[in-house]
Amino acid sequence: MSTVENTSIIKKFAGNQQFLLLLVWFGMVAFFSAFNSIFFSTAVFGNILLDWAPVVLMAVGQSFVIISGGIDLSVGSTVGLSGVVAAFQMQHMIESGKNQWFAIAIGTLVAAAVGIIIGLVNGFLITKAKIVPFIATLVTMGASAGLAIIYSGGAPVAGGPEKAITLSVPWFGPFSTPGLIVVVIVIICGLFLHRARFGRYTYAIGSNEFAARSAGINVNRHYLKVYALSGFLSGLAGMYYYCRLGSGAPTSGYGGELDAIAAVVIGGAALSGGVGRISGTVLGALILTTTTSGLIIIGVAPDWKQVVVAILIAAAVLLQGTKGDSRGAKK
Amino acid sequence: MSAPLYEVRNISKKYGSVVALDGADFQIHAGEIVGLVGDNGAGKSTLVKCLSGAHKPTSGSIFLDGAEVTWDSPRDAIEAGVETLYQDSGLAPHLTVSANVFLGREKYLSGPLGKLGFLDNKAMNKEAHEDLDRVGIAVPASNRSVSQLSGGQRQAVAIGRAVSWASKVIILDEPTNHLGARQAGEVLEVMKAARAKGLGVVFISHTLPHVLQVTDRIVVLRLGKIVANAPTSEFDAEKLLGTITGLNQVQ
Repeated sequence: MSTVENTSIIKKFAGNQQFLLLLVWFGMVAFFSAFNSIFFSTAVFGNILLDWAPVVLMAVGQSFVIISGGIDLSVGSTVGLSGVVAAFQMQHMIESGKNQWFAIAIGTLVAAAVGIIIGLVNGFLITKAKIVPFIATLVTMGASAGLAIIYSGGAPVAGGPEKAITLSVPWFGPFSTPGLIVVVIVIICGLFLHRARFGRYTYAIGSNEFAARSAGINVNRHYLKVYALSGFLSGLAGMYYYCRLGSGAPTSGYGGELDAIAAVVIGGAALSGGVGRISGTVLGALILTTTTSGLIIIGVAPDWKQVVVAILIAAAVLLQGTKGDSRGAKK
Repeated sequence: MSAPLYEVRNISKKYGSVVALDGADFQIHAGEIVGLVGDNGAGKSTLVKCLSGAHKPTSGSIFLDGAEVTWDSPRDAIEAGVETLYQDSGLAPHLTVSANVFLGREKYLSGPLGKLGFLDNKAMNKEAHEDLDRVGIAVPASNRSVSQLSGGQRQAVAIGRAVSWASKVIILDEPTNHLGARQAGEVLEVMKAARAKGLGVVFISHTLPHVLQVTDRIVVLRLGKIVANAPTSEFDAEKLLGTITGLNQVQ
């Protein structure tokens, strides 16, 4: 049976899952290109990367959270709320005659700050109120989504700097300026996850929280930092959507939590914590956005997107199961 | 005998209305292995948690090197030189051997990157290997993940970690649990090496032959109280078991 062979190949490459993900991605590009040759063009690849950037921002934050043994459901709503708040701030600045670039810079800071605040609320609910991450972030997910609608009146907030939308034009190959900034942020996050103390503690806590505590690590403070980072990156994703749409839409991050979790899980992270890599998440997000773009190109209705993402999550989790549980006891 | 290295006096711990520890006195001297034994629920774990800084006693005082101390967290005790190895949960299985050995005390690169928290894994791999070697533990490469090690190897790494970091006292909670005879023997040898290094070793175990074999003194807890505290030479297996269960008393 071919499935048996597949699992043995997975086992062989268990140490190098990125290679496997790359193969999957190449396979998908070949598949969609065979259906419709338009797929294999810079314009379409540019589009995939435009979609990829905000997903990977949320997914990188989600990687830290999932590796620490938690989950952050609030990332999509954070995108919407931070975009709306930043849009109002920039609208106000433009109306009072401020420089456009200055308004964009302040808008970015505001979006990031909104994200950090939501992340800190998550962190406090988890560490102080002792609410499990799933529920804590479900609470902030609902609250942020609601606030975004109330604050914006349900409509996109425009009237900000017009130069924002011109930023989203690709100029470096398929990359726009915000896209390049995302790439730099992802690389920095990867270095901190894999080479620095911040990442080491994230893995340690997700692997065995009790061991981390008895080693003297301030576990609660680390949780706060991890959720704040996830919020921060989601806030930046909110600003990214603002630049792409030219307005702050309360629904711009709709379903973002599903995309982010899917990218992380496809990338090989375990929801039980302690496992995952940024390179996996980057490829996971790429596979995800390639799938959704590809389905549109071969004529599948966009409404199917969430169903396909859900199937991808299930498939990734099932494949992880075949690798066997070598994670050891987790208390 | 000289003044105790680490001592608790008249220590009590209540969880709500449950008295887990009731006015216990406990001392450990430098270069001594003390066995701490008792039935399940006798208060061993509670005493260990008070000694390690994980729990704050309800009343009583703690002295290290003759000076009174209070622990607000395990970190305080660790920094003062008191290391604790908890039963079955000392290591993070997804991390490498050296990452576990250095957990919470990482070495950083020199220069600005080190200031940002970037790790010097090369130095840690090398030193972890040397540290474990020094306490008599033969462990495979330091860059292997702990999940790939056998139960005995994991325990060896956990103990090696604690011994190499402890500067005064090391508390081992059931370190020989789930180990084969040869591996348990290695663990006992590591404890002797720690004693030779001048550490005070607290050995908590249900395996009475191990306790009788390696300790200098045995302290027996029953129902939250110390019921015996005597040199190991005064015990044999039968008498020790009787003291633990309360069938006879040591005068």
